[in-house]
Amino acid sequence: MMNTIKNKLASHRRKDKNPGIMPGFVAFLSVVCVVFTVVMAIYVLWFYQGSYQEETAGEIYDRYYIMITQDDKSSFWQSVYQGACERALQENVYVDWLGNDQLQDYSVEEQMEIAIASGVDGIIVTADESDEMTALIDQAVAQGIPVVTLYGDNTRSARCSFVGVGGYNLGREYGRQTLEIVREKLAGTTEQQLFVGQEDASEVEIEMVEVGTAARPIRVTLLVNSYANSLEQNIIYSGIQETIEQDKGDTVIELSLQSVDDTNAFSVEESVRDIFMEGNIPDILICLNELNTTCAYQAVVDYNKVGTVSILGHYISDTILNAIDRNVIYATVDINTPQMGGFCIDALQEYHDLGYTSQYFTADISLISKENVEEYLREEETENDE
Amino acid sequence: MSKIRDLSLQSKISSIYIITNLLVVMVNIVLLIGINSMSGRLDMVYQDNRHLNEFSDAVNALQDNMTSYLNVKTSDSLENYYRSDSLCREMVADLNEEVTGSSFDRMERNIRHMTEGYLEEVASTIEAKRGRNVEKYRVHYENATRMYDYIGTYISNLNMEQFRSNSERYSELLQRFRLFEAASVIAIVLVMCSNVCIIISFVGAVIRPVKKLAGQADEVAKGNFDIALLPVESQDEVGVVTGAFNSMVVSIGRYIEQLRESMEAERALKERELLMEGHLKDARLKYLQAQINPHFLFNTLNAGAQLSMMEGADRTYEYIQKVAQFYRYNMKKSEETVTVAEEVEMVDSYIYILNVRFAGDIHYEKRIDESLLSVEMPGMILQPIVENCVNHGIREMGDKGVISLSLYEKEGQVCISVKDNGVGMSAETIEKVLNGAYREEDMASGGNGVGMDNVISRMKLFTGNENVMTVKSEGEGKGTEVSLYLPKPAEKEEYGGKHEPL
Repeated sequence: MMNTIKNKLASHRRKDKNPGIMPGFVAFLSVVCVVFTVVMAIYVLWFYQGSYQEETAGEIYDRYYIMITQDDKSSFWQSVYQGACERALQENVYVDWLGNDQLQDYSVEEQMEIAIASGVDGIIVTADESDEMTALIDQAVAQGIPVVTLYGDNTRSARCSFVGVGGYNLGREYGRQTLEIVREKLAGTTEQQLFVGQEDASEVEIEMVEVGTAARPIRVTLLVNSYANSLEQNIIYSGIQETIEQDKGDTVIELSLQSVDDTNAFSVEESVRDIFMEGNIPDILICLNELNTTCAYQAVVDYNKVGTVSILGHYISDTILNAIDRNVIYATVDINTPQMGGFCIDALQEYHDLGYTSQYFTADISLISKENVEEYLREEETENDE
Repeated sequence: MSKIRDLSLQSKISSIYIITNLLVVMVNIVLLIGINSMSGRLDMVYQDNRHLNEFSDAVNALQDNMTSYLNVKTSDSLENYYRSDSLCREMVADLNEEVTGSSFDRMERNIRHMTEGYLEEVASTIEAKRGRNVEKYRVHYENATRMYDYIGTYISNLNMEQFRSNSERYSELLQRFRLFEAASVIAIVLVMCSNVCIIISFVGAVIRPVKKLAGQADEVAKGNFDIALLPVESQDEVGVVTGAFNSMVVSIGRYIEQLRESMEAERALKERELLMEGHLKDARLKYLQAQINPHFLFNTLNAGAQLSMMEGADRTYEYIQKVAQFYRYNMKKSEETVTVAEEVEMVDSYIYILNVRFAGDIHYEKRIDESLLSVEMPGMILQPIVENCVNHGIREMGDKGVISLSLYEKEGQVCISVKDNGVGMSAETIEKVLNGAYREEDMASGGNGVGMDNVISRMKLFTGNENVMTVKSEGEGKGTEVSLYLPKPAEKEEYGGKHEPL
């Protein structure tokens, strides 16, 4: 009995030396940890989200250029701006497009004034040959702001460089395409040799005339903007004219200029429709900008002239590419717009760094017709997917 | 951990409350900080717009003051112009000048530059007006107004853009605020739950040993001392009480055990005493039954001895003297411890009496180790054995009966052997004799009434051993040897000193 008691005591002493962990304390620790992790996580997350927004706009750029364009938000100009932006960011320069969304109600001249007053490091502007523009460009240059004219030039001014499409080359390309269309038309009509002369409802008098003769020449109309600079358009016109004269042979082709009113908003569309309302509907319509092309395309469809009126377009957009695919637009000229934007920045940077730069930059052009439109559509698709 | 264990009960309970309250306070502080910074953020959302509006107001005031001066050319309006001019210049200095990725920053920069140009233009206008240069101030005024117009447009644009972005931010903040609110509620509920858990587990941990102690105390109260001792988990008051309780249980157990052992010993002692007393009484009763007034007998025998001496009958005298001596010894020594020598002398007397009675029939031989004669032993042991030998062993043998008595040392014990050459004994009879089951008619045999069982019992009590006597017989007619074994006394120690005299 005594021994058993002693053993008991001994065994308990052994137990005391190796005590178990208090379960309460463990629970306490774990609960505290969980609570604090949760609370802190929420707080940190919240704080981080709040401060994140403020930190993103932190980068500072060396120079600040402003791009001013005549119209609009067409994909042409957006593409040019995109190209300029990408090039500018490489140079640690920021480009703002005034016509983009701010200050749209101001004219190019007014935007020029704003840019000058803003004391920017460079201006990219779609100029014209007006005196006012010349004065503004000169004023800017006088204040130490180099000006690059884009797409439309002002030759008399002190602008440092002009970035555009070679107007003459463009005209020749249009001329070649026109002749191509004429050839196809003549080939298609040799069997019938019929052409509807007058479509007046009251006077139904159908003459059988051969197309491409003096009696019924093939009418080619170049849509020019009344407001835009005429010099560039004149160069294009002469380019077209020269090409046609050289290669037309016996076919009689009548090249005319049709002015499109672009002074007011929406007036372009009305002007283009007016052409179809008149009697002499041209056989070939040559458009010199994206808006005109789109309007002409829509008018041809609306007036049921698909196949009768061929359109030579300008620049590419989804609508234009689809129209080529559906044979409504014969061909369009694609300008390498990102390159154009990039040239603007290059010119300004060069001017800033060296004090001079090349007077002319010419962007590449390429023709898109039925043959290669698939390629472009695919590209567009992949871009859209991305 | 051990430190926490060793805290006092008061500290433990206090620490539970402190910890839970601290937890609540900490969570509340975190939530408060969150809400504070959140509301600060909400306040700041439209601050940009407010600044811009103030700036716009200042520019408007400048334009108004300039126009007013141009109109009326009062000194008041000039003063106003100067005031608003300096205000504008101050505010312009605060505007951003860097070109950054943020459109707001760039617009602000443009506004700054335009305003600077505008301020110069306005200053020129005022100057020209004061110089009464009508042409010049008209041109400057037109320029200034145009720029004022641009600035207004820019400001309203920026204002609108900022407002749009701020509204988005505001709603985003508001959303986050709601989220934070929900998170706060969850956090508070969580903290509450955890506090409940902490209190339950902590109090449970503190109370558990007390509960165990209570259960054990209950067991002890029911009289069950054979319980598992409680482990002492902590050094607080409960631990101390548990330790004390354990010691108490052990002490009580030990005490009860001691008590039980001493009682047991006492009981055994008493039992032995009672047994001895019983045997003695039994022997004495038998002895008394066998005696008829021994004193009278002695006196009578003495008278007979004196008479025979006076008559010159020496052998009669000796005989009567021996008989008297025999009975005196019988009466006197039966309740005392005697020496072996006295017992041997007693046997001598007895044999002598028998030989006189039966005309020298019994041959008596002695082999005595003289050194052992002083060994003590209970009285009235040898005579009954010899009597048995005579009565049962050699009675019928006439003068051929031999009884030999030996005293010698064997294996550390003193051995007294009584041997006859009589009829012998069967093994069953020996067994019966040794077990005390053989109680034949002692009285009828004419002996002194002391039976073998009595002899054996007294020997056992005296020596404390079980093996005190052996009976050997090699069969019928081959005699019997009865041997008694006494423990040899240790040297210089009086033999039997530990034992009570019988």
